[in-house]
Amino acid sequence: MIDLIGYGAFFLSTALIFAIITLGLNLQWGLTGLFNVGIAGFVAIGAYTSAILTTPDTPDRIGGFGWPILAGWAAAMALTAAAAGFTGFATLRLKSDYLAITTFGVAVVVQLAALNAVGLTGGPFGVAFIPRPFAGLQSDPLAFNLVNLGIIAAVTLACYLALERLSRSPWGRVLRALREDERAAISLGKSARSYRIQAFAVGGAVMGLAGAVQAHFIGFIAPDNYIPTLTFQVWAMLMVGGSGSNRGAVMGAVVVWAVWIGAGWLTSALVPVDWQARAASLQIVAIGVMLCLILLGRPQGFFGPRRGRGME
Amino acid sequence: MSLQFLLDGLISGAMIGLGAIGVTLTYSILRFSNFAHGDLMAWGAYAALVAVGVVGGLAGPIAPLSFGLPLILATLFAMGFTAGLALLLDWLLFARLRARGQAIIVVMASFGASMALRNLLEFLFSSSPAYYSRALQIAQPVGFGIRITPDQGALLVMTVALVTGMHLFLTRSQRGREMRAYSQNPALARVTGIDVSRVVRTTWIIGAALAAAAGVMVGTLVQIRPLMGLDLLLPMFAAAILGGIGSVPGAVLAGLIIGLSEAAAVMFIGAEWRAGVAFVILMAVLLVRPTGLFGVTER
Amino acid sequence: MSLLTVSQLEAGYEPGLSIVKGASIHADKGEIVVILGPNGAGKSSLIKAIAGIVPVTGGSVVLDGEDITAVPAHLKIRKGLAFVPQTENVFPLMSVEENLAVAAGVFRGAAAPIEEMFALFPDLARQRRLAAGSLSGGQRQMLACARALIVRPGVLMLDEPSAGLSPKFVEQVFARLVEIRASGVTIVLVEQNARAALAIGDRAYVLVEGREAHEGPAKTLWDDPLIAELYLGHRKEGVQ
Repeated sequence: MIDLIGYGAFFLSTALIFAIITLGLNLQWGLTGLFNVGIAGFVAIGAYTSAILTTPDTPDRIGGFGWPILAGWAAAMALTAAAAGFTGFATLRLKSDYLAITTFGVAVVVQLAALNAVGLTGGPFGVAFIPRPFAGLQSDPLAFNLVNLGIIAAVTLACYLALERLSRSPWGRVLRALREDERAAISLGKSARSYRIQAFAVGGAVMGLAGAVQAHFIGFIAPDNYIPTLTFQVWAMLMVGGSGSNRGAVMGAVVVWAVWIGAGWLTSALVPVDWQARAASLQIVAIGVMLCLILLGRPQGFFGPRRGRGME
Repeated sequence: MSLQFLLDGLISGAMIGLGAIGVTLTYSILRFSNFAHGDLMAWGAYAALVAVGVVGGLAGPIAPLSFGLPLILATLFAMGFTAGLALLLDWLLFARLRARGQAIIVVMASFGASMALRNLLEFLFSSSPAYYSRALQIAQPVGFGIRITPDQGALLVMTVALVTGMHLFLTRSQRGREMRAYSQNPALARVTGIDVSRVVRTTWIIGAALAAAAGVMVGTLVQIRPLMGLDLLLPMFAAAILGGIGSVPGAVLAGLIIGLSEAAAVMFIGAEWRAGVAFVILMAVLLVRPTGLFGVTER
Repeated sequence: MSLLTVSQLEAGYEPGLSIVKGASIHADKGEIVVILGPNGAGKSSLIKAIAGIVPVTGGSVVLDGEDITAVPAHLKIRKGLAFVPQTENVFPLMSVEENLAVAAGVFRGAAAPIEEMFALFPDLARQRRLAAGSLSGGQRQMLACARALIVRPGVLMLDEPSAGLSPKFVEQVFARLVEIRASGVTIVLVEQNARAALAIGDRAYVLVEGREAHEGPAKTLWDDPLIAELYLGHRKEGVQ
């Protein structure tokens, strides 16, 4: 029973971290219509920033700054926002496809740096000994898991409320107007571009924060965590939840993560061991097909508000 | 300093350029950047692998090459198969979303399709690399300290032939002119009597067939992996943009520039940073001259 | 019977928001029919709907006895109905010659040879290798006409061919239209430049709010005080 609660807390914590990333994507795509295929890259920037700044001194790697965790999170948000802002600055005066291609490139380059800039990121072995909040409780796994869940839930709630407020503010209304009326966007010209850059940067900051929170939750990060599959999962979450809705983003994240875990559990229980790697690929195929089917049949998702406020 | 890197760059540039032709045509005619293009390339390589397994016994390799008639036949089959796959995807997915008029949704669908296609390959063939032939080739010196294997030479000739053929097709044939006309002004193309659905079909067939050819080339000279297309996607996008969207000669030239830059990076900076070169070039183009080398107008 | 008969045509980009609201016009063989009207009356949408590039929601288009309302745009030209849009009416990155070749190629045997068009438009012959996008406005208009004529259409529809041209070029273009008509082509001309259009036209319609409000011989229309008042009055309102 206690195991089950512990596992439930762990599952929900992971799902909520995904929810934070999805909330960031919802600001970029759902509200502003900016296509980001490099989510994994922005999450990685946040994770590595906070990890490097807060870990103790390690040989062969820059570090030993020993910052407090919250300072690490703030730095993660700032740096990811800067990276996203620059990506937007370089591409948002061009056709939307260029942003998509560039974000894809960002993810490739961040992955490359994580793997090869050994002196900064620890290379393929990643960064270990990332301080965990309330580490003193670690001797009691249940309490520790529940406290972590509490922290992550609080961060998720804070992001949710902040983004809800933002999307209702005059700033959010401008973004929505820009998204829905291309002519208005063109007539606003330069300032339309600057609004979009801001939205992309803020969305990036939220993703960076999620990466940092996850790094401190797991205590260890490696380049393998930030492959295109992550980007893909987050997109599936937003599309299932219903883009344009923050509530949908959170619901979609929890539901898709549950399906993902459930499918993984099923394959490990039913598929012979030497076929499991292949079955895992089939799982991704299924999600890809599902994403396409949602685009074709139910572009408004399943958990967003009823028609009229979401994706029109 | 060995000049060998120039040849290596030329070869990988040729593969990037062949793939980038499809990217640039899809972008200028169907008006979306197709994230599944690299996976068409990988599907082409695997289609040829399967076909070579079927007809492999027909004939031995043509000396001094590592391959013979079977791989040539298999490549033709792979080009046809990949074209069919692209048409199927268009019919099932892209055409329906295009009809709704939101270009970026089509891009997203291509991203979903890319994930599905790539992982389907991993499911079917596993992620471990495969080869058309295990034969080792001796590189022949051609001067300036550069050595080239017979396979590399043959495939470079094939690339030149395909690119020249493609250029002649687009400039001299009616179908090709229709494609260019449609990319320049879709509404006028319709009132001129051009059948849009035929233009769309031709675009997919050419793009996919060239992707398959590039896939076989990578498979012959390097190896066949489900991820091979994904790894080339960024260089192909960068080449299409550097060359100027819609320009076939531009895409090929830009592919060569990127291939050579990558080889130079391997030589002077380190092999591990190779994949970053395309990104640096992409950013430089977007910041300095987003229309690319041969681009005319920003669409 | 008329060569082109348009009855009760309804058309528009969005359902429920028709721009053309039940317009009926016809053109007899060898006629120049002028369509006038204030801005926003739906003149341009009317011929675009006939050409098949604005969705038709009601009514019919009959060409030479055949109902072609539902024929897709790219096949309408095969039926002998050619259309020259007002702007962006050439393929800018292709040469003059290629612009004609691509149009002729759609038809293979049925098209006039490119040289025939160059004989008709000698200015274009001198610029055959130039990219169409680098032509002057008047030459571009000529090329657009040549592109449409190369398929030997029965009906040639033009959307404001004088727009943006200097008076000298307007004169040239309209003189060409008279020659083209003389070769047996029926012309439907949408124009803002009423005086020049009526000077070469046989018959004219005045379109108001998506349907024809008046029809009459072109020569007398300009002098008709009632029409002049209605037309000019609306025209003033139309200028924003």
